[in-house]
Amino acid sequence: MSKIPWRRWNVVLHRDIGYFIVAMVIVYGVSGLAVNHIADWNPNFTREKEFKTIAPILSEEKDIIVAQSLVALKLTEEPDNVFRPDPETIQLFYTGKTFSIDLPTGNVMIESVNRRPVLFEMNQLHLNAPKGLWTYIADVFAVSLIFMGISGLFILKGKRGLGGRGKWFVLAGTLLPLGYWIWYQYLQ
Amino acid sequence: MKKILFVSILALLVAGSLLGGAKKKYGKELTLKQTTKVSEIVANPEKFDGKRVLVAGPIVDVCKERGCWIKIGSDKEFESIRFKVQDGVIVFPLDLKGKSAVAEGIVSVKKVSVEDQIKSGEEMAKEEGTTFDKSTVTGVKTVLQIKGEGAQVDVK
Repeated sequence: MSKIPWRRWNVVLHRDIGYFIVAMVIVYGVSGLAVNHIADWNPNFTREKEFKTIAPILSEEKDIIVAQSLVALKLTEEPDNVFRPDPETIQLFYTGKTFSIDLPTGNVMIESVNRRPVLFEMNQLHLNAPKGLWTYIADVFAVSLIFMGISGLFILKGKRGLGGRGKWFVLAGTLLPLGYWIWYQYLQ
Repeated sequence: MKKILFVSILALLVAGSLLGGAKKKYGKELTLKQTTKVSEIVANPEKFDGKRVLVAGPIVDVCKERGCWIKIGSDKEFESIRFKVQDGVIVFPLDLKGKSAVAEGIVSVKKVSVEDQIKSGEEMAKEEGTTFDKSTVTGVKTVLQIKGEGAQVDVK
């Protein structure tokens, strides 16, 4: 049996694990960008508000209020749920849409919530919303990423390898998080 | 090879859509069978403080920023209760609003200082894109919520 040198194994594993995890890298990378700016936007949903006015509804009976609201808003389907947060408001809930009606004035706010296609699913996986088995798949992915990083150090030899200019890139890449943390924690 | 890949992806998508249940679980399994009316908890918060309860009702609001709480509508009008979960442990999607839920957790009653009310009011206003009127805070307030552990939502 011929002996395969460890560097050859390293290249083969780096290459094939790279192929295997490329989709996950994209999912986590794209979602990382999306959730990094959660303070500025909602990375999972779009929310749109629309306003209209109907005739004031003066009844106090919930069923009558609902019936009159449906007619006034020209809604043919019954809502999934109805809620009255206070005596002057009724909310009609449909999938992805909420009608909030101010009964004395007839002012209506229609809020539509829609998932951002693909991004929602990526964020759910990235933030481990499914839990269960996905936790372990994500663990394997994390270990694979560590392997990719370390194995990548040893792909090349010589002046373009770790012993050459590679070590300066490694040093710079290490100083970036370390330096930032020191600044953030102690200097700012 | 291309055909196999295409068929596999198609099969995954079809299986996913068929196997997706009408009830979506969030967090831990529910352990209680008997529900407690939200109106009972709201009427007697001290009696339920620290007790484990299972409540049922429509989800009338969802935390817009992190999905870390839902509000469950009471069986009585003009009442709801907040079901708060640990950030990141359970994430409730925004589009659960209006769905029916059963949720289990521990009732918590606590006094909230004026400063904390203003802080949370300002955070809520920021989420909503509105402004918070500090003058509406007049003193220490008793806040009732359920520290959420698990929920099942009817997503059909």
